[in-house]
Amino acid sequence: MKKILPPEELARDARFVRLSMEDRFNDRRGAGGTSGRTGPMKLTPDAPQAPDRARALMHGIFVGEIQALEGAGRTCWDFEVGPGADEVPFALKLDMARQCWDEARHCEISIKLSDWMGTELGEFAESTFLYEAACNPDPILRLTGVNRALEGLAIDVFNTMREFGQSAGDPVLEFCEDWMLADEVTHVKMGSDWLRRITENDPDRRERALEFQRIVDKLFSLGGFRGEGDDSPIRLARRFREMAGFTTEEVDEISDLSKQAGEEARARLAANA
Amino acid sequence: MAKVVVTPEQFSFVNFDAARVAELTSKIADKVGLPADAEVRIEIDEGSPLGRTRLASLDPITITVEGGAFENAKVPRSLSDASVIDVVGRLLFRAKDRLSPGFADAPDDSDLTLQQHTAWDTYAVGRCDRAGWAPARKRRIYHFRNRHGFTDVADGVFERLWNADGLTWADIEAACAETDAARVPAGG
Repeated sequence: MKKILPPEELARDARFVRLSMEDRFNDRRGAGGTSGRTGPMKLTPDAPQAPDRARALMHGIFVGEIQALEGAGRTCWDFEVGPGADEVPFALKLDMARQCWDEARHCEISIKLSDWMGTELGEFAESTFLYEAACNPDPILRLTGVNRALEGLAIDVFNTMREFGQSAGDPVLEFCEDWMLADEVTHVKMGSDWLRRITENDPDRRERALEFQRIVDKLFSLGGFRGEGDDSPIRLARRFREMAGFTTEEVDEISDLSKQAGEEARARLAANA
Repeated sequence: MAKVVVTPEQFSFVNFDAARVAELTSKIADKVGLPADAEVRIEIDEGSPLGRTRLASLDPITITVEGGAFENAKVPRSLSDASVIDVVGRLLFRAKDRLSPGFADAPDDSDLTLQQHTAWDTYAVGRCDRAGWAPARKRRIYHFRNRHGFTDVADGVFERLWNADGLTWADIEAACAETDAARVPAGG
């Protein structure tokens, strides 16, 4: 079986349509940082388009769960056991296998949640950015980009949606998010632990991994979509990130990157106007 | 057949076809039962990927939409017939309501509460369903529950509005009062 499966070879049935990164970022209509297709500003139950925005966001999470399953599965397969730079400890593979189990469960939860929210599978286009980060040939950069950056983003999204479900009085959404959030904290912690353990005596590799994480974090702050401002649709979940092995300084850094991403998105919009 | 005007006629941010929007709107207007000499204007803000829509005027009937409302969610920037039918069908039924004496007391759209707005939409979309336009019923009930509560009473009211015909503004208000009385406060 092939090692490092390219994103275009991921198997999907006819319901799913792929959206390329170029398409996503070259849309001249960008609504400016804290806005999306179904509405601007923070996701609160009293926002006019809130239910549709919640549906679109949860569909994005659903396809992310599929890709997280594919990514963790590939990490089990792509690397041999050993001490080399392109090898991994057996225990890391065990963690990835456990993550596969969790992600498969999240897919099932997301399918049922989609049905509850009135969303059809494949109703929205799929971006494969999570899986693309999971194609990095260095296993530690891969874990840092996926488990710390993107699963970290998932913590922020799940926490925001859990609070949204709570304030909207939607018990199904609230509980689904709570259960998935608990697993995500574990996944992020796996990334944090393996990063520290494997690069303990290799500061250059650690720095490369953290730089890869910064790039992914900034890219997927989605023009300021995630942040700590009152108008941020997705709130940075400090407490859960700290439980997942992030230091206060690391969370501050993500917050700053998100602000930068927002300012850059607004500048791009102004230039296009 | 209603006269339909779509603006802009040409699009540069999105791959929309004004003639197709006009064709669909004309068919919907006839099926909704608008007068044959009615003028319907569809004003599209193609620069916005958002999905807000509004019945802006009754004379002429004017619907303003942000481009995202007519967009195919699977193929960004392309027109979706289903989205056009979904938005225009719902808003033309609401226009027809507003032109009838039974809705003379209805406040302006900008003064409607989210609950009133959603209840009225449910009544409109239920009629779209019976017109054969296959709206996403599950999506609509989820929206309704968000506004009227995740309760059996809210689900019952949704069914009643969805299947209704010949309602008045007083019926919409009564539906909202019924769900409000049964609503469990969030977190309660």
